[in-house]
Amino acid sequence: MNNINLLDSLILTLLTLIIYQIIAWAQQKWQLIWLNPMLISIAIVVPYLLLNNIPYSEYRQSTQMLNALLEPAIVALGYPLYLQLQHIRKYWRQLLVILSLGVVIVMSISFIMTVLIINQQEIAISLSLKSITTPVGIALTEQLHGDSSITAIAIIIAGFSGGLLGPSWLKLCGIKSDAAIGLAIGSASHVIGSMLISKKNPNQGAYSSVSLIISALLTAFIVPLLIPLFLVLFS
Amino acid sequence: MKNIVYTALAISLCLSLGKFLSNSIGGMPASLYGMVIYCLLLQLNWLKAEKVQTATQWVIRHMGVCFIPASAGVINHFELFQNHGLSIVAIIFFSTFALITVVAVLTEKYLTPNTATFINKG
Repeated sequence: MNNINLLDSLILTLLTLIIYQIIAWAQQKWQLIWLNPMLISIAIVVPYLLLNNIPYSEYRQSTQMLNALLEPAIVALGYPLYLQLQHIRKYWRQLLVILSLGVVIVMSISFIMTVLIINQQEIAISLSLKSITTPVGIALTEQLHGDSSITAIAIIIAGFSGGLLGPSWLKLCGIKSDAAIGLAIGSASHVIGSMLISKKNPNQGAYSSVSLIISALLTAFIVPLLIPLFLVLFS
Repeated sequence: MKNIVYTALAISLCLSLGKFLSNSIGGMPASLYGMVIYCLLLQLNWLKAEKVQTATQWVIRHMGVCFIPASAGVINHFELFQNHGLSIVAIIFFSTFALITVVAVLTEKYLTPNTATFINKG
């Protein structure tokens, strides 16, 4: 830390922790899905930084301890992955094929559309990683030098849009089984989608927790091959 | 307390192995190699699932706060959202619903008959 004062750093880190904890607690207490702790925290932290003339780079550096904890937190996701593997023994082959296909399709559509419409590769990388759970999305975006803040916002939008409207859309398409609805919403709308559909149908929720963690893993495997290819093709 | 130390050591070990793999063969970020190794060691029963359960779930429940420093970076992108906000939302919507449709249709067609054994964990 070059010229950043240790006390400022401590205050900003604590402030972030406290804001997040209060919102997470309120969400738990009132069971309000839209009270998304990350989204609301950003909506408080950003104006706070602007009002106090704190440059983002300073905030980022001051809170680097929180960012550093992201790595061990991602490792911890190996536990739910282990739990879900016990559930898919009977049909893992079909599941892996379907979800891999889904990952390739969503990344291709997002990347190509972004390049064609907005024409910025950094944004294209971010948007092609928006279907997976936030920690994995941020880690993969940073590795590929995309912009992780865009990824984080896109992940929230994908979560709410798929989780809220996905089930009605699938009904319209004539899809009936809990497996199909759960796996589809989990692969596109990750934890937010899973929380939203679990309330109405826990069985669908169980399927979506399987697909969200497997899709995150498959994306991690596929991204290092697919994105460099796209970057060459569309540069 | 013993289980917390056990879990912390297990996660550190997996992350170190992940860093080694990421540096030597590349591909995924270290943390994701770590996640795969953690899962593998649990599957092989080298790590005891019942010992890591509580501490790991605590970490997962509270990990959201670690995303805020990176996400607050939107502060530098107001212009992007002003110029392209609608396009960004449209791309997210379109690709999300394409993905949902593909996975649901394929699952309904090729997977449903075999899934009767799926355990409902609620």
